[in-house]
Amino acid sequence: MTAALDLMRTHAALLPLIIAIVGAALAMLCPPRLSWGLATLAALLCAFVTADTSVRVLIAAAPLWSVAEGVPLLADGIGLFASPLIAAVAALALAASGAVLSDIERRTWPLAMALVLCQLFGWLGALAARDLAGVFVAIETAWLASVALLAFSAGRTALGGALRMLGAGGVGSALFLCGVGIFYRSVGTLELSAIATAHIESADAAALGAGLMLLGVALKAGVAPLHDWMGGAFTRPGGPAALVLGTVGVIGALAVIVRLAGYVATSPTIGEGVSIALAVLGGASVVIGSVQAVGAHNLTRLAAYAGAAQAGGILLCVALGSPAGFAAALVQLTALAAAALALFGGAAAGGVQSLEHLDGLGRRAPLAGAAIMTGAISLMGAPLTLGFLGRWRLVEAGVGAGWWWAAGAVIFASLAGVFYGGRLIERLYFRRAGDLFHGPNDAWRWALAPMLAASIVAIAFGVSPAPLLTAADSAGALMLGGLP
Amino acid sequence: MSAELALLGVLATPVLQALLVLALQRPPGLRDVVHIVGALITALCALRLVGAAAEQESVRLVLAQPLPNVGLAFVVEPLGALAAAALSGLGVLHAVHAAGMVRATQEKAPARLMAFIALAAAATMAVAFSANLFTFFVAYQALTLAVFPLVAHRGDEEARRAGRTFLATLLTASMGLFLPAMIWTYAIAGALDFQPGGMLAGKVDIPTANILLVLFVLGLAMAAMPPLHRWLPESSKAPDPALVTIQGLAIIPAGGIGVIKVAAFVFGPALIEARLASLALIGLAGVGMCVAALIALSRRDLRERLAYSCMAQSLAVVMGALVALPMGLFAAALQIVALACAATTLSMAVGTSAAITTRRNVEDYVGLGRVMPWTFAGFALASASMIGMPPFSGAWAKLWLITALGAPAGGLMWAAALVGVAAVLTFAHLGPLAASALSGKAPTDAFKRPDGASILLAAPVILGAAATLSLLVLADSLARFLSPIWNSAP
Repeated sequence: MTAALDLMRTHAALLPLIIAIVGAALAMLCPPRLSWGLATLAALLCAFVTADTSVRVLIAAAPLWSVAEGVPLLADGIGLFASPLIAAVAALALAASGAVLSDIERRTWPLAMALVLCQLFGWLGALAARDLAGVFVAIETAWLASVALLAFSAGRTALGGALRMLGAGGVGSALFLCGVGIFYRSVGTLELSAIATAHIESADAAALGAGLMLLGVALKAGVAPLHDWMGGAFTRPGGPAALVLGTVGVIGALAVIVRLAGYVATSPTIGEGVSIALAVLGGASVVIGSVQAVGAHNLTRLAAYAGAAQAGGILLCVALGSPAGFAAALVQLTALAAAALALFGGAAAGGVQSLEHLDGLGRRAPLAGAAIMTGAISLMGAPLTLGFLGRWRLVEAGVGAGWWWAAGAVIFASLAGVFYGGRLIERLYFRRAGDLFHGPNDAWRWALAPMLAASIVAIAFGVSPAPLLTAADSAGALMLGGLP
Repeated sequence: MSAELALLGVLATPVLQALLVLALQRPPGLRDVVHIVGALITALCALRLVGAAAEQESVRLVLAQPLPNVGLAFVVEPLGALAAAALSGLGVLHAVHAAGMVRATQEKAPARLMAFIALAAAATMAVAFSANLFTFFVAYQALTLAVFPLVAHRGDEEARRAGRTFLATLLTASMGLFLPAMIWTYAIAGALDFQPGGMLAGKVDIPTANILLVLFVLGLAMAAMPPLHRWLPESSKAPDPALVTIQGLAIIPAGGIGVIKVAAFVFGPALIEARLASLALIGLAGVGMCVAALIALSRRDLRERLAYSCMAQSLAVVMGALVALPMGLFAAALQIVALACAATTLSMAVGTSAAITTRRNVEDYVGLGRVMPWTFAGFALASASMIGMPPFSGAWAKLWLITALGAPAGGLMWAAALVGVAAVLTFAHLGPLAASALSGKAPTDAFKRPDGASILLAAPVILGAAATLSLLVLADSLARFLSPIWNSAP
């Protein structure tokens, strides 16, 4: 057992990627239900391997290993923190998707499961890639897998949504590629670790390149106002596509932004320009996402728009360019992951599409109701939730850097949260139940329970977040040059 | 019982009480006994904490460490102990009265009503004993969320609208005004712990102090400062037991406690730096008192009239806390006790009367005292206290308030005059009402129920009225008891 553990730890950088891609290949070959079990197991294994490494390095302060696989991989603080988060989110989403697979034609279930694992492979790869070319390839893998998964969902609207995603993704990819080209021309390297020390010929061009790259990924993360594709993608909220896209897809893309920013925004030559671009985009996302969430009539769209507001907060944290800022971004990322799991999972469990379907859900489906409520109060930034903790860390880091307006943006997001969160809670518990329940009603519905319970527990983690804060602080410090 | 255990008990017992009330809904007798016993244990724990505060025991309870350097912590200090003892003591009467009300009105969801009343009590205790601004903020939010279901309890469109107004006003004010003030304070002081003498003393400049004071006081919308007071009249159509919680035992007292804590423990001597803002806020509160009392005069529905009357009394707490004198803080603390006694008694009396006679309008009260003498005797005594007539509690609180405002150090004769005008207007909207109820001709068809009010409905009103005499004998002792609050204050 110890030998196996040692072997696993020796190849800890590559192992999650292998598990994900081999799992995807095997899932395609299995019968429908077995493919679901296999995919869930593979994601769980990925979560275990990545979490083991993260705990050792970020919490137990073990030395960071050097990657000796012969594959261009690079371990850093953000990757170490975000990889287990994404793998865990994917495992929970995969487990829960067992209850809503009927949204997809039965014969394509194995392919759908393989696509989810391909997404996981892509985002984990983007968080471990050593150079920008590797990051690009990995992001495209994840994005195309998301588009294909949505296209397999039932109904013409899903196909339309997939086409919109494909178009938006194409624009994002073009921006990223242009950015990489301009950046390479100015900096002379694509190696992430070499950016900080590289001789930069034209700082403006390098900043433009970095900005375009970040913009390309921001588009895929659903950062407002670049999130037009979300309306189509979240039209049909009950199926596995929305569940996976709203959780794994968004968290994965945001984590990649944080990682890239860790290399470019902290560069002394180009950092300031990138920082301003991120701050502007972040502020806009907070405001636009919050306003759209207030006006949303569909639960998953509301969750997506509220997520865009939260994503804006993450960009603001990253724009600070300090270890405290990166640590705050990681806490916010965790908070968003927990809230997204709760809201998307609750929507799937309750068969909720429009907000009217929420009426009385707290009594009809208590666990789904509790999950949606906790997700809502976390997005509001209510105290003793991860949402509050994330915003507090942003304000702390922002005020420390003299960015008072960032505190204003956070308060604006919280005020908007009061309106849309309050509306959800009122409908859940203070409206008479209608006969609008369309959620999964067979034994498989219990597959959603672990996801909902885990999301509630994760949000409640806001009461005693010491390990999370330690890990986030270590990751931020490691990203910027050494453990605290 | 150790003081630490009592502190845990005062916070946890109402939560346990709520869970048990929900779990033991049948038989109703068991549910009611659990509700009353829970309130009684809470009151006993609070009483033990008064002893601990009197002996200046150091009692601190840290439940969690959700932020670096900031804990979810509770501490026993005189103001919190006094407020908790008064509110939980009255809470026992309210528990008995609520048990009678749900039977008399054949309430459809009595367990839910009682459970949220208990949760509101827990959050109020947490507000009273909060050790820092963060804990206060958490408890304040919890109180808002616990009382929201009480406001929206009836479930019809009107109740939902009232609930939305309640939630939106209190949460928006706390998130939009109080939270920024808290963050700003943290940035200046580097800590959030309440300190006698003020955490901002010597650390804040004049413009910042003025802005912070406005943010804090308006952010505490539970104190019903205009223009953030709409939630109070809107919520006046809630069930009667819920109204007692809102007006007498939880929301309005919590707002008052918050303002006093901010004045004494956040600002302390720094209140002098915020002189401009405090004068403006005292003026706003004084004018608000008079206008609220005037609006109360125009309301025919007793619940609305009481809501505006309570608003006027709540603003007296704000005036006392902001006057920047120990006398003012003392007056504000007394006013919380006086308001709690009078508002609880009046709300219970109005509830009893409505349950038995279905009458809620002012003109229908003529002569009702003849057929419900105990209930209306309590109503009259509580009205006298609300007006500020000696020897009732309200008189001593207002006397100290007027003295503090009019003293040479306060120099705010105009504010003292506003308090006097508000007292006259309060007399106008409560005095004749009580008099006509007791002296008018008894109606022949008063009772909906032939057997009249049960002892569960009448006894709490009488005991509550008796409590309005408490300050007559306790005022001197309370001055000594509360002195640690202002020993380091301006």
